[in-house]
Amino acid sequence: MADGRTPRGDGEGGVAPVGPAPAVRPFLVTAGRVAGAAGEASAGRTMPVETQLVATTNGLDALHRLSFEQHDIVAACRVPQSIAEIAARLRLHLNVVRVLAEDLRTAGQLSVHVPDSGVTHDASVLRRVIDGLRAIPDSRRVLRDTD
Amino acid sequence: MTPTEPLVRASAGQAAVRPPLPVKLVIAGGFGVGKTTAVGSISEIEPLTTEAAITEVAAGVDDLSHTPTKTTTTVAMDFGCITIDPTLKLYLFGTPGQERFGFMWDDIVEGAVGGLVIVDTRRLDDCYAAVDYFEHKQIPFAVAVNAFDGQTAHTLDEVRWALDVSEGVPLLVFDARERGSVRDALLVVLEQALARSGG
Repeated sequence: MADGRTPRGDGEGGVAPVGPAPAVRPFLVTAGRVAGAAGEASAGRTMPVETQLVATTNGLDALHRLSFEQHDIVAACRVPQSIAEIAARLRLHLNVVRVLAEDLRTAGQLSVHVPDSGVTHDASVLRRVIDGLRAIPDSRRVLRDTD
Repeated sequence: MTPTEPLVRASAGQAAVRPPLPVKLVIAGGFGVGKTTAVGSISEIEPLTTEAAITEVAAGVDDLSHTPTKTTTTVAMDFGCITIDPTLKLYLFGTPGQERFGFMWDDIVEGAVGGLVIVDTRRLDDCYAAVDYFEHKQIPFAVAVNAFDGQTAHTLDEVRWALDVSEGVPLLVFDARERGSVRDALLVVLEQALARSGG
């Protein structure tokens, strides 16, 4: 299993992790469960890495009762976050986040929004992305201040 | 069909905020080809890195190999995002390019609207796996030659011949460090995806 060292992987040297990798074996926090069996959203579809997680009112109310990882996930998801963002920001493995997100969803503390690929591949959606991208200026210095 | 459950009631068990629809593009290519640079040039956040475990036996030794015989390892995946509007967000995922990361690819690529394969003309071999993958999965993609210092070792025709990609696959030269250049490369991919969608 992961040995706690920071793998260089494909990081290309440009992105340093924010802190030391967690020493706790990642699947300890999921009681040994791995995504696949448990890491599926309600419709039986697995959660793609861009799946959006949002805290529910229940979850925010229960924050003080949640354990470390669950607490951190719900707290971070006051603003919608993708599974990948949560994994990166909380330094958890993707599949750990999937398992915990499913648990939190079942408990009504987190809302899990699995994107429908029929919708994301729709021409009208793609056109909106294209139009939005075209509006991005060449220079890094001219950041979109309308955002 | 809706991508997200509509927020009709603000009951306790529901999301306090409606999340954007996430649209995903994958940026693939060999090690050190400029994927992270490209993501960083256009992402509104500093590129994030997450690690996923893969449990395959490594098939070969890559250039910067640590322990090629390990059966369990982790790979880093870099990503960024661009908010199109409050209801729509584009995610860019940079995937490890080596063939032995195939397992990881499915995890990242599932549901992607398209892919950009970044090529370093000095190391064309590194991108074969990515090209094959997108072709096999029938995911719309474009091939972008990263012009290091404005130079490419081969012409686009030579690259197309070497990679054996069909005429239908756009091939372009870009600079991963330039925001506008990355934007234009992504637009080429999205236009491919749009054409595929029948739009």
